[in-house]
Amino acid sequence: MSGETQGKRKFSRRDFLGLATIWAAVISGFTVLAGVFRMTKANVYYEDSKKFKIGKPEEFPIGTVKQLDEKRVFIFASNDGLHAITSVCTHLGCIVAATDWGFQCPCHGSQFNSDGKVIAGPAPRPLPWLEVSRHVDGNLMVDASKEVKPGTKVKIYL
Amino acid sequence: MYQRFYTALLIVSSVALFIFTLMAGYREITPDYKSYKSEYRDLFRSKATGEFMKKKAESIDFSVQQVYLGKLNRIDRCINCHLGVENPLMEDAEVPFKMHSGNYLETHPVAEFGCTVCHYGQGRATNAEDAHGTDRETHWDWPILPLKYIDSACAQCHDQEMLAENGADRVLRGEKQFVEKGCRGCHKVNGIGGVLGKALDGIGTQPRAYFPMRYVQGDKTAYTWLKEHFDDPRSIVPESEMRIVLLKDEDADLLTTYILTIRADEMPRDYRRIRTGTQEVPGGEELYKMYCIACHTTGKYSVYDEIFKRTIPAIMNPTFLRVADDNQLRRFIEDGRANTQMTDWKEDAAGLTDDEIGRIVEFLAKSRPAKRGKLFGRSIFDGDTARGRDIYETRCALCHGEDGMGGKNRLGISLVTPVVKEADPEFLLQTVRDGREGTPMIPFGSSGINLSDQDILDVVGYVRTIKPTASPKE
Ligand code: FES
Repeated sequence: MSGETQGKRKFSRRDFLGLATIWAAVISGFTVLAGVFRMTKANVYYEDSKKFKIGKPEEFPIGTVKQLDEKRVFIFASNDGLHAITSVCTHLGCIVAATDWGFQCPCHGSQFNSDGKVIAGPAPRPLPWLEVSRHVDGNLMVDASKEVKPGTKVKIYL
Repeated sequence: MYQRFYTALLIVSSVALFIFTLMAGYREITPDYKSYKSEYRDLFRSKATGEFMKKKAESIDFSVQQVYLGKLNRIDRCINCHLGVENPLMEDAEVPFKMHSGNYLETHPVAEFGCTVCHYGQGRATNAEDAHGTDRETHWDWPILPLKYIDSACAQCHDQEMLAENGADRVLRGEKQFVEKGCRGCHKVNGIGGVLGKALDGIGTQPRAYFPMRYVQGDKTAYTWLKEHFDDPRSIVPESEMRIVLLKDEDADLLTTYILTIRADEMPRDYRRIRTGTQEVPGGEELYKMYCIACHTTGKYSVYDEIFKRTIPAIMNPTFLRVADDNQLRRFIEDGRANTQMTDWKEDAAGLTDDEIGRIVEFLAKSRPAKRGKLFGRSIFDGDTARGRDIYETRCALCHGEDGMGGKNRLGISLVTPVVKEADPEFLLQTVRDGREGTPMIPFGSSGINLSDQDILDVVGYVRTIKPTASPKE
């Protein structure tokens, strides 16, 4: 190099190219990894939405017990508010039936109390409670992909 | 020297590649709908009052959303830009954020119906151009349906009475056009109708590649093609023989709406709300409109048709009906008229039942005068043709031509067609004697030119022997 660069740190062409290659490799490696991780979860799926409307609050007067067959949930409305419990048995996925005391699975005899807790049978986990929310158009919505703590009830009459 | 050049080339192309890579990456992480979403969020924020709505405005999901419709075999992603369709605060916002008009979404929830089942367009697309698919370059066969034709989409599930009751009467009005302009005179639907035009089954779902777009002025979509083609068929398909039957734009739009309901597919049963009532049996007059009116119009006047290159007879002309009895009329309709555009309408051809033909004949016969002409009582042609020729040349050739071929610049029709050749003696004899009211054919018998019955027998005998000299005159 000419005299002007003399005072600065000596930096040979070879060093520069070597460093540039290493950094290029590191950056592209990270970019590829980031892309790969993003790919593991699709933006959208070829299936029904897990979040669905169940109707207007007026359709759920206090005391309502409603089973939505297609959506596989029970909806309960009580003084404290509204809650949704799945109707899919945590054992092997049969649809449970609501009884006076809770839920009964027809397949292998699992029983759950009215909060979804297992009281008998092979079911490994309680029936999950699902998130209930409100849509801007006033309808109530259940999100079957989001579990909430048992006992969470939503006040629906504002 | 060379080395320098190649170094420079390498550097420039590397930089260009790097920039393109960055741009591609940037586009990937900022799709169009994200900017719509942030615009929508700002709008929502400014309109929201109350804690609930404010919270909703803040919790807008920026990832791509979709409505999956398994039964309809559709996935609609329109809601990524049309964000306010269900939001009552957006009632008077601008498109694309505007709330859906009317209360349609109450009975047709987005989660169950999506958007494209009514509005068409490409549901899976995530930018406006591809989603609307109006541009031919998007290669989408069913672009977004203009709102003036939207009623046609309702007819996939609803019967027409129901639509009419609920304000979507454009299909019904379009069908009225379809019937009254006599489209079925030339076009088959479900196997019934004339043969001059293309069968219309499934036309409403026909991919746009099947429509020749060369002369279409507006959007290159099937909808525009249909509309402009109804305005003026030959401006879209220069060789078309279709008759211009419409008068106003509005009627062309209505007819387009109806035509779009003639689809090749069917909605799933769960979605359909067609009430199956008793179908009304169309009367003679309605049938006449449906199948005959496009060519024969009111049936009162014969006119020379520029497109068909022949005279279309006035079939409700009293003098015609006086000589053509019901059986003859029925035969004309059933078997058609050879070498003309009049097709055979019987059940195994154009598809009219015996009963329907009967009703048309009955309708035509209403115009028949009560008094029948005096019969000649002939069943064969036995006139003196040599004498007949002399009479023909003085009396007939002026209008029908020396060669008997009639044609464009002559008043008379061609006499060498099977229509004349195969006619009953009685039919021809009486026509010559009594003339054809409403046409230039005057009576040649005692009420007019005063030829004797024998003269008429002779001249008709001669006419029967004329041979066509060349192809019919243009
Ligand atoms: S699936 Fe319910 S008990 Fe086995």
